[in-house]
Amino acid sequence: MREVAVIGVGQSVFGKLPEKSVVELGREAVVAALKDAGIGPKQIQVAYATQAGMTAQRILKEVGIAFIEMVNVENACAGGSTAFRGVWKEIADGRYDIGIAVGVQQMTRSPIAGRLIPPGADDLEGQLGLTMPGIFAILARRQMAQYGSTVEDFAMVSVKNHHHGCLNPYAQYRKEFTVEDILNSRMICEPITLLQCCPNTDGAAAAILCSMDIARRYTTQPIRVLGSALLSGDYRYLHDDVTTSALGSETARRAYEMAGVGPENIDVVELHDAFANEEMLRYEELGLCPPGEGTRLVREKATWVGGRIPVNPSGGLLALGHPLSASGVRNVGEIVLHLRGQAGERQTPGAKVGLAHMLGGSVEGLEAGACSVHILAR
Amino acid sequence: MSERIPFRKDTFAETPEGLVLLANRCRSCGQVFFPKAVFCLSCLGEDMEEVKLSQRGKLYSYTVGHMPSMHFQPPYAIGYVDLPEGVKVFAPLQLSENAPLEVGMEMEVFLDKLWDQEEQEVVGYRFRPAR
Repeated sequence: MREVAVIGVGQSVFGKLPEKSVVELGREAVVAALKDAGIGPKQIQVAYATQAGMTAQRILKEVGIAFIEMVNVENACAGGSTAFRGVWKEIADGRYDIGIAVGVQQMTRSPIAGRLIPPGADDLEGQLGLTMPGIFAILARRQMAQYGSTVEDFAMVSVKNHHHGCLNPYAQYRKEFTVEDILNSRMICEPITLLQCCPNTDGAAAAILCSMDIARRYTTQPIRVLGSALLSGDYRYLHDDVTTSALGSETARRAYEMAGVGPENIDVVELHDAFANEEMLRYEELGLCPPGEGTRLVREKATWVGGRIPVNPSGGLLALGHPLSASGVRNVGEIVLHLRGQAGERQTPGAKVGLAHMLGGSVEGLEAGACSVHILAR
Repeated sequence: MSERIPFRKDTFAETPEGLVLLANRCRSCGQVFFPKAVFCLSCLGEDMEEVKLSQRGKLYSYTVGHMPSMHFQPPYAIGYVDLPEGVKVFAPLQLSENAPLEVGMEMEVFLDKLWDQEEQEVVGYRFRPAR
């Protein structure tokens, strides 16, 4: 297997942008990534994009990329990281030398804009009223009952990520909120309020990868992909405790093993914070703290920019925004910026190793649809 | 009276003792599945027998939804109930000011109307604090 580097990242503006199409958003991200990498469109040999509907072809033909292998993948919110991993595999396996991953989602033009994602006809739990915020609200109650987490703890995660959003020019929301603001916002699913939920977001992100042996032709700062893991959820009946994620722990274990590093080596983390209470459980499964101590990490403010282990310095899904399948490419891009020392006001000082995590989809009977972890290093 | 139809076939039955949930158990390894599995997902055994689940269990966790879901207008309660057979059942819950929900409380299942579908009344299972 060959060593692979990320040599270019880019994203579109994130926000509620009904006037922009999937192609326009995607093109913005691809042009930014090509410029960042300093390469031309004709050098791209393989492309993976998210969602059905010939997304890669429709976007890339706009910027002079055609007549190469293109693959479109769907894996819910893990779609972007699945596309990134697809390109990584092509290059690691030696099939191609340079490729691009594109994640894009137009939410405000979709039929579910401003509503909850509707369940499938064969989804028994969805038909009976289970929704995405419902899943995480049920989880939140267990965190409260089992670990003594409080709604103030959950709100504090959102306070943090909104603060981080203020430091990121690409964030959808650049506004500070207090714990009271968060808790007093509209109730969605008890105890989760509106400002503890990620917003509807339109946006796109792209990443350009190449084999390490040619990376130095293009950049003095290639960012190495040390570990990549993608896993589907296990049967839920095999795992009784919903507050410990077998899926997240195993995905992280595989990525750490491949990377040859442990949680103690990680300097900065981007993870799936679709709901505020979720973030503290991810700390545990990624090994940032022992099981059951996610709440303590929040209370110690260890995961703020400037803290021991900054988490979601971009603002995360809560403040930066969450164009579902774009987020898995976008959060790799955020890690790349920190490893290059280009993350501006939110920079993690001296970051050497970073981790990007995503979680996607709800499937009845399984813990979740898919989970991915990528570990990158300079 | 409008016709009553089950929201999903083969998930529950009406008995003189009230509604019971229908699961199945693998005769080889004993694993119980709700809803029923076509074959055992643990040992892949194909010899499955139907079991009627206990009507009472403990509330594992719950939430009250304040945004409309597919079939329910807010506020509505949903949650998981742990049954003695080792099964965690997701279900709509009865929301009542007289009996507030609490993690760990004893719950019982009952037959209830879930929603209307054209001229038909869709029925299914719901849990409420045990009396």
